[in-house]
Amino acid sequence: MEVVDARAALAPAISLVCAALVFASADNTFWRRFFSIAAALAKLVIVMSMLPGSLRGVVYTFKLVEFTEGVGLAFRADALGMFFSVVSSTLWLITTIYAIGYMEREPNRRRFFGFFALCVSTTVGVAFAENLLTMFLFYESLTICTYPLVIHDETPEAMKAGRKYLIYTLTGGAFVLLGSIVTYQLAGTMTLSQPGILPLEAGRTTLTMLFVALIAGFGVKAAIMPLHGWLPSAMVAPTPVSALLHAVAVVKVGAFGILRTIYNIFGVALLRELGVCTWLAALAAFTILAASVVAIFQDNLKRRLAFSTISQLSYIVLGAALLTPLAATAAIVHIANQAFAKITMFFVAGSIQRTTGKTTVHELAGIGFRMPYTMAAFTVAALSFIGVPLFAGFVTKWYLSLGALEAGEWWYALVMLASALLNAAYWLPVVYTAFFKTEPTAEVEVHEAHWTMLGPTLVCAVFVIILGATVSVPGMPFALASAAVKFVFGM
Amino acid sequence: MTPWPPLLALLIVVPLTGAVITPVVGRTRAVRSANWSLGVMLATSVIALVLVVQVARVGPFSYVVGGWVAPYGIELRFDEFGAVIAVICLLGTLAIVFSRRYAARAMAEQRIPYYYALLLLNLTGMIGFAVTGDLFNLFVFMEILSLSGYALVAVSGEKIAEMAAFKYLIMGAISSLVILLAIGILYALTGSLNMADVTERLGGAPAAPLAVAFGALTLGFMVKAAAFPLHIWLPDAHAIAPSPVSAILSGLVVKVGIIGMLRVYQIAYGSGAVDMTALNTVLMWLGALSIVMGAFFAVFQDDIKMMLAYSTISNIGYIIMGLGLASSYGMIGASVHVFNHAIIKATLFLGAGALIFQTGKRTLTDLAGVGHAMPWTVAAISVGAISIVGIPPTAGFVCKWYIALGAVQAGHPFFAFALVFGALFIFIYYIRMVNAFYFRQPRDPAILEVTEAPASMLVPVLILASLCLIMGVMGSVPLSFIEPAVQRLLLPLGGG
Repeated sequence: MEVVDARAALAPAISLVCAALVFASADNTFWRRFFSIAAALAKLVIVMSMLPGSLRGVVYTFKLVEFTEGVGLAFRADALGMFFSVVSSTLWLITTIYAIGYMEREPNRRRFFGFFALCVSTTVGVAFAENLLTMFLFYESLTICTYPLVIHDETPEAMKAGRKYLIYTLTGGAFVLLGSIVTYQLAGTMTLSQPGILPLEAGRTTLTMLFVALIAGFGVKAAIMPLHGWLPSAMVAPTPVSALLHAVAVVKVGAFGILRTIYNIFGVALLRELGVCTWLAALAAFTILAASVVAIFQDNLKRRLAFSTISQLSYIVLGAALLTPLAATAAIVHIANQAFAKITMFFVAGSIQRTTGKTTVHELAGIGFRMPYTMAAFTVAALSFIGVPLFAGFVTKWYLSLGALEAGEWWYALVMLASALLNAAYWLPVVYTAFFKTEPTAEVEVHEAHWTMLGPTLVCAVFVIILGATVSVPGMPFALASAAVKFVFGM
Repeated sequence: MTPWPPLLALLIVVPLTGAVITPVVGRTRAVRSANWSLGVMLATSVIALVLVVQVARVGPFSYVVGGWVAPYGIELRFDEFGAVIAVICLLGTLAIVFSRRYAARAMAEQRIPYYYALLLLNLTGMIGFAVTGDLFNLFVFMEILSLSGYALVAVSGEKIAEMAAFKYLIMGAISSLVILLAIGILYALTGSLNMADVTERLGGAPAAPLAVAFGALTLGFMVKAAAFPLHIWLPDAHAIAPSPVSAILSGLVVKVGIIGMLRVYQIAYGSGAVDMTALNTVLMWLGALSIVMGAFFAVFQDDIKMMLAYSTISNIGYIIMGLGLASSYGMIGASVHVFNHAIIKATLFLGAGALIFQTGKRTLTDLAGVGHAMPWTVAAISVGAISIVGIPPTAGFVCKWYIALGAVQAGHPFFAFALVFGALFIFIYYIRMVNAFYFRQPRDPAILEVTEAPASMLVPVLILASLCLIMGVMGSVPLSFIEPAVQRLLLPLGGG
């Protein structure tokens, strides 16, 4: 059931207004904090107000403006879009609180929080985009809005990373635009509201090239190897930004774009016919394993997180590329599972850096006694990545393996297993170093980070467990993912 | 149904007479010439508006000057492409308003009346060029606007301006000669100078002279339009001229080459005697090359007006590519970009003019941080920048979208590729510009003390910036306006 409802457009718009107010609040700390939180909170409230309807199967649409026939800005909150926006707006509120604590003494806070709020707006714009053009517009805006965040420190290293980031992502964006143009020409529309719009009559070569263009375009942000180069170097950004880039916004809009391309532009039936997804799945499997191997050798905690992100993102791509309902479920829920676990780890890394100044894994000996709650949260996230049952990551691995078997491609289940081992190989040593490398001594005082940083860390860790334990509870995001899968596969 | 027929003649007569009288009016006090030329342009705008509404309602119409029938007398013909006079009048009026304060500082007082006279002459030339139905008449108007253009570049009287004007003059004169040659050949082949007449009589003409004529016309008009590599005259001329003149030159005068090409197409396709395939291929490549090279050069500029001048080359590239694709989408996109680019580029040049006027600085390095001192002007420039890159919902988007669709439609997806990546390049240097204005630390803190531009400059810039947005949101209006003309043009090709 479709309902015309301005809330679909209001969700991105309200954060935009708040962002303008953050910029306008000049150097007044109170108002800047107020509007930053308001931006995240207002959006969360709007998105959540649509959730009950969405769980009942209602789709909210709103057409904002039409430039020429069939080409315009329009919004549509379907199950997949709702899933992504529920995840991102929840995390945004948490990250904003964390950022306020983390950025306490940094210069240029107005610019930081202004663009931070703009990013909220653009991410939800991508989630609710009704057509490829709207999606492209918000996708590119997100690139622009995150650039000032990446270069926040304005060191030569940060500027260089920022430039690399722009070159990678803008080039990717150009491929997306190119793909949109060709899609419009072939299908006569760019809507994302159908389970596939392209006709097979357009020709196999053309369709294959279009698929490559769109996947390469979105794949830059989703960091599929070999398009991942920007991600580890963008680690110079302040930690809340890294958390944002790597867990919620940038990489996830890339993954989300790939889901939209596969499910709503091409459609499952057409892709099965074309056979291109076999290659994409193989590439994703390669990325999962290769990035994990690289991660093992990183001593810098944030760099290890970066390669872990690259590996985890390809779970989503692999799930989508397998083209079976169970694998698709895994792909969609992994948007949330990876986000909460990864952001927990980033929060931990940031808290450690802010309280002790330590950034590498080998320095962390005994940190578990100084910051017990923080490291407990880290352990939860690590167990989730390894795929221990009851934690969020297990759900993904389970459904993804089932999906691989359903598709008759059992070797991807082995990839899951190998990936679990590799995850254990690079996360458990961190936990071990933190808790067991040195004996607890009386001198070690508990010294946790400020509550604005510790609170968000713990909340995210709790979410990791909730997501893992409540899969079959009705009304949880999992239900949305199932609804999206049913629509896509016409079940 | 038709309005008073001589209205079409008045469209030319009013600004022409106005231009001639301007120095006389401004003889005692220069400011009078400003008021007078504004009045003239407003009157012309009213006439233009009536005519554009008319053509939208009933389609093309003509007026025979002095009652002499077509093959003998001069025919003025007004079609949808001629509606470019609307934007000519708009920019002309705004440039004159903008010049009020600008001219007072940029040039000696006794020169001011002549400056306005030249500006009016230039606009008259363009209006005449757009509405004439006679080939020789077309040449005459082209010369009027070119000659006044050379003088306008040099109007400040500085050495460097004279050099730029001289370079412009050489290239301009050569291209005019080439066009004249082509018109001569067409006259020899058909015995007529009336475009409609030439179109009818061209059938069966020998191929070789025809190829020379159309080749020469294209070459000449491409120089006027500054397609790469025939652009060498443009950057200096446009960057050194006074800013209101730059807006006119970059927004409108280069478009003369485009309108000229459209007339060439009308004759070629209408007669069916000329095979344009080879020329179209050349145009597509010229377009793609111009987009990429214009953007490439612009990336390395530090002078904002130089940057904008190179950006004009890229945008002309878009239009030329759209023409060369010869598909309906491409043609419509190109024609509308003639309008939209004029508005966008005028926003940028007048905005840059206001910055230079207030700060006395013209490089990105020196202007760093100016966004805090002149928020309105820089906001308008930012809108212009977003627009020229082609980001929705602004004026630049619709055209580029249509041209890209045209490339795919014509079976040349490679050119859509060139277009998109050209836009990426353009995006990069406009980001540099906006980034410098807002985010870079000022080199000289004094720039933060600068005040906002005076109303006579700020208001035109803001009007243009809002038009950039309006033309984007209501993008379908100009598209559907120009569509019948393009369909008519491409009809001989099987509807395009």
